[in-house]
Amino acid sequence: MIFANLTADVNQKADASLAPDPAQPVGGVAPVALTGTGTAPSHHGELLQGVFEEGGRLHRGLLTLPCSVFGSRAEIRLRQDEPELTVSPGWKTKALAAAHAMLARVGLPGLGGRLTLHSTIQVGRGLGSSTSDVIATFFAVLDAARMRLSAEQLARIAVEVEIASDPLMFDRMLLFGQREGRVIEDLRRPMIPVEVLGFPFADEELDTLAFAPARYTVWEIECFRAMRGLLRRAVVYNDLVSLGRIATASAQINQRFHRVPHFSRLLEIVGESSALGIQVAHTGTIAGLLFDPADPELDRRLAAAARGLGALGITETWHYTARSDGHGRYDIAS
Amino acid sequence: MAAMTSLREPYDDVVDGNVLPKIIELGPTLYGMAFQLMKLLPARFILRRALERGELEPGVTVAETTSGTFGLGLAIECRLRGHPLILVGDPAIDGPLRRRMEALGARVSIVSASALRGRDVQRARLERLAYFQSRLPRYFTPCQYDNLDNPASYGVVAELLLETLGQVDALVCPVGSGGSSSGMGSFLRAVLPELRLIGVDTPGSVLFAAPAGPRLLRGLGNGLLPQALDHRLFDEVHWIAAPDAFAATRAMHADQCLFMGPTSGAAYHVAAWYAWTHPGERVVATFPDEGHRYAGTVYNDAWLRRHSLLREPARAPRTVDHPAEVAGPWTRFAWNRRSREQVLRLRGGAA
Repeated sequence: MIFANLTADVNQKADASLAPDPAQPVGGVAPVALTGTGTAPSHHGELLQGVFEEGGRLHRGLLTLPCSVFGSRAEIRLRQDEPELTVSPGWKTKALAAAHAMLARVGLPGLGGRLTLHSTIQVGRGLGSSTSDVIATFFAVLDAARMRLSAEQLARIAVEVEIASDPLMFDRMLLFGQREGRVIEDLRRPMIPVEVLGFPFADEELDTLAFAPARYTVWEIECFRAMRGLLRRAVVYNDLVSLGRIATASAQINQRFHRVPHFSRLLEIVGESSALGIQVAHTGTIAGLLFDPADPELDRRLAAAARGLGALGITETWHYTARSDGHGRYDIAS
Repeated sequence: MAAMTSLREPYDDVVDGNVLPKIIELGPTLYGMAFQLMKLLPARFILRRALERGELEPGVTVAETTSGTFGLGLAIECRLRGHPLILVGDPAIDGPLRRRMEALGARVSIVSASALRGRDVQRARLERLAYFQSRLPRYFTPCQYDNLDNPASYGVVAELLLETLGQVDALVCPVGSGGSSSGMGSFLRAVLPELRLIGVDTPGSVLFAAPAGPRLLRGLGNGLLPQALDHRLFDEVHWIAAPDAFAATRAMHADQCLFMGPTSGAAYHVAAWYAWTHPGERVVATFPDEGHRYAGTVYNDAWLRRHSLLREPARAPRTVDHPAEVAGPWTRFAWNRRSREQVLRLRGGAA
């Protein structure tokens, strides 16, 4: 995997940069120059996406399938005497907006300079490229300002910047309200490690935010309750079988809103390869078959599944172990 | 801020406090879902959805035909929300239930025996309901039998069951409106595709294509076909006769100290047999109401003897090839997730 070390612990990096840089005297004669870097991982779509009740109201929410294989890295150089902040590549305007929003948040509005993003996340597949850029930029600005914010605070600012956001600022299992930038239910556990055999199910590039929010039926809304009940138990018991079933059920409901071709055949491949289930990027073009990483037969099952996908003309596949990677503040007493 | 700890809080009202069942272990692989009054759930859900959709407005009259616990559920919910309530029942309605509904402000209108003149009870009740509707400027009729919000209301139960047990292999449900069985069955099967749904009906009920006839056991089975019932969810159907259901209800009380109504007893009887004959499978039975209403009948030996209903329950079902053969204390048929029409066609019957 090409990007395995991209998401080294952001907080460690931030800690290291807390030491004053002797080359940049703050408040001296020379103009103030601040630099910072930040990284954020991608994700691999969702294990569950729907609407969930909290505080007597329904909220759109999702459970992200993490993926540290790909990621974004942001570098920012800020100077008082620079009139304007620019971004490279120039089309990453959302990252630029994220930088402005965070500079305002940390009390440094109006600083100019340059924001540079390096990302290995393919755009338009529903892997969270946009949110990853935004979060990496947040961390870069915070690094430059020698400040920290909680993941909850970052989530609020992220949805202000990009309408809907993935919970990449967190590193644990939670139901996240992607349009409100708030945690609906904190499952308070690291991601149960699960092996993902990923594949694209469509060629076209999708604008995730161009999706009209799904209009669920009463039955679907109530079915999300059932899935949520099973999810709570699955998380406590590290129950991969249930997690796979939840992902499959969520993918099934999403068929009405964003169709995965050959879905019934894909479900057969799940059975034939003894996969735990299928998950999809609910507003993207990738999906994944889920396996138990501790299964002694894992390689054989992955190969069988890949053959099945190949017979459907899906020849591009990848696999990785989804898990919490320590990139976020993991502040739960366990 | 999302809830980080589950601090216990007061219930909002009596429905909120009593709407969910208690899940109780009854054997190594057998669990009961004991409701105080299951019908609180569809009563509240149907009225809430109707309010959201604008089909019901505050203060508007609710009118429904029911002689059973759905009426009590509506009476409680309407009392709490301030809706006048008209309930149309038949002479078989039991006195304490009627008095309780009236004490909650419901107007209970009984279709007299003479008005029935041998017609289907349900149909006569619907005609009386239409009369009331024609005299009301505005009203809302929940139509529990045909309202798909009825099955949908059981999502919270599926949530509780899955959070509590995770894996369930078989769900045994008494079937009347089809709401609880089809609702729970469909939600559970969304995540447990292999779940076996076992319906409990009673001879004389037309729900599952058995011959129509008089039914002694209220709350189980139906003389009409409700839209809320999705036949294709069911793997097995059992028909339990009234004396066997009553005896099983008493046995459940004696063996498990669970004081429930006779539809619960019927479900317990089938579930206990299923768990015994399918070792290793986790079986859950639905118990829709408590036994207090039946203290003078099911729980009264003198009453049972007077009506020749006192006997030991059948130990095992008679398995038949077609519901047309349903008769006797306990009949079983492998429904195999078919539609009612498909099953009827097996014998060349009309749908």
